[in-house]
Amino acid sequence: MSTPRLASLPAAESASGFYAAATKIYPRETRGRFARLRQAAVVVLLGLFYGIAWLEWDGHQALLFDLPARKFHIFGLTLWPQDFLYLALLLIIAALSLFFFTALAGRLWCGYACPQTVWTELFVWIEQWTEGPRHRRMKLDRGPWTTEKLLRKGSKQLLWLALAAYTGFTFVGYFTPIRTLGTQIATLSIGPWAAFWIFLYSLATYGNAGFLREQVCKYMCPYARFQSAMFDKDTLIISYDEARGEPRGARRRGSAARPQGLGDCIDCTLCVQVCPTGIDIRKGLQYECIACGACIDACDDVMDKMGTARGLIRYTTEHALHGKPTYVLRTRMLVYAALLALGTGALFYSLFTRTPLILDVIRDRNALYREARGDHIENAYTLKVINLDDRPHRYRLAVSGMDELEVLAPAGLIEAAPGSVNTIAARLQAPGAAAGGVHHITLTLAAVDAPGIAVHEKTRFIGPQS
Amino acid sequence: MSTGAPPSRSRRPERGLDIALVLWPSFLAACGASLLFFAAIDPALLRNVGPRLFAGLDREAGYAVGFLFFWGIGAIASALSVYLIRTAQRPGDADGVRAEPP
Repeated sequence: MSTPRLASLPAAESASGFYAAATKIYPRETRGRFARLRQAAVVVLLGLFYGIAWLEWDGHQALLFDLPARKFHIFGLTLWPQDFLYLALLLIIAALSLFFFTALAGRLWCGYACPQTVWTELFVWIEQWTEGPRHRRMKLDRGPWTTEKLLRKGSKQLLWLALAAYTGFTFVGYFTPIRTLGTQIATLSIGPWAAFWIFLYSLATYGNAGFLREQVCKYMCPYARFQSAMFDKDTLIISYDEARGEPRGARRRGSAARPQGLGDCIDCTLCVQVCPTGIDIRKGLQYECIACGACIDACDDVMDKMGTARGLIRYTTEHALHGKPTYVLRTRMLVYAALLALGTGALFYSLFTRTPLILDVIRDRNALYREARGDHIENAYTLKVINLDDRPHRYRLAVSGMDELEVLAPAGLIEAAPGSVNTIAARLQAPGAAAGGVHHITLTLAAVDAPGIAVHEKTRFIGPQS
Repeated sequence: MSTGAPPSRSRRPERGLDIALVLWPSFLAACGASLLFFAAIDPALLRNVGPRLFAGLDREAGYAVGFLFFWGIGAIASALSVYLIRTAQRPGDADGVRAEPP
């Protein structure tokens, strides 16, 4: 334990972040390519989130991780706790995609897809709508409590709370049927735990998107800290072109910069004002940067007005900034892509070849065999039959691998409810003359009411040693 | 950071950070732990184990109690880490007063 660990924190950090109350950031509204891209991402992602919960599929909610019933409906597919493998694979794929896209284009996730960004954007829209643009908001906060301030602030809080509550409701609606949940809320008959989860998620949405905002990215997000491990000099980053911009300084519109001994940056600080995390991109790449591109939009706008080329702040790579070629195909990318393809392939292969039936065979531990009437030899087994389909099935047990071996029990068909685990006592019988020694046999369980649902399980049939 | 630091003004924000450092990582850990645990164990089975603590709980309550349990355990671990870091004597400390970083 030594002090350099602390000393390595940026000086500004220890002054403004950890040890003093964070100063409120008033992000200035932006227009431009990246703002439109982010708005599109917000509309699409939140549209999916709020919309899919209400989709129906084949008589049930299309996407429902039904925790009370312990089964997952994913459109046409029903998964049970026995299918945990798929969830594990899905999480691995998600992590690998994050690595892949981070190495390729930096913090795409943070800038456009992270729920923190997306909901914050929505909350900021409400804030701008109720309290006005940046300078008005700052003035409003500084000013005394007037009726107007009360109305503006009050309506903002009201809209925020309503949105947060509806978000919490929708979120819980993915884990317990949303229509039932809606009816329960309407009739005030909601269970205490469902209410608890809705409250918790609403609170998280309200707190994270309304108040914490960039502090979540700066102080709470683990990804923000380790994403740089995926970076290299060919990764797309948002960067200020220092060689072109410096020395910065104000100048008249339309006047050439170079003869005045200036770079292209006019030091208007718009890039700082629009930044949702309140950093100055001109100081270089910082871990607070969530790569939202707001500074690019702001700067491009200014460059247009000044009559200079766009791209003083732009998406570029470290190699490109230093005049070297950038490679998209590099070892890191190939490794991530290969792993991603492998994981995705494994998931889809196992999903498409999945048989919604599990058969476990356990030989009777008490007796190797039993001599039955008429000089027959009998073996007993315990079968575990798990129906993983979302409808009931009837199965027939068959046996192969040994002549004259037949199924005594179960006598008829095995019936299994959806998702049920059934323990079945099975007995097989063969004539004594043919039964001597150990025989390797195969039990086959096949649905009689659905083609293609069949599983095979190897076991042994044992007779007296001759 | 240390007990010898000037009191009042610098104390409060740090207390807030400590609480966040205890609750937040343990929350993340509880999410992961609940996912893994309840994928394998049906919370309804918890009714039948132990000293009848969960006898009256249905499945939904089982999930919540399990999650809060994992969160609590994680919070204890985080709190201990934070406590040990905050109360550690570092080289350069004299009588509990830590030298300012250069």
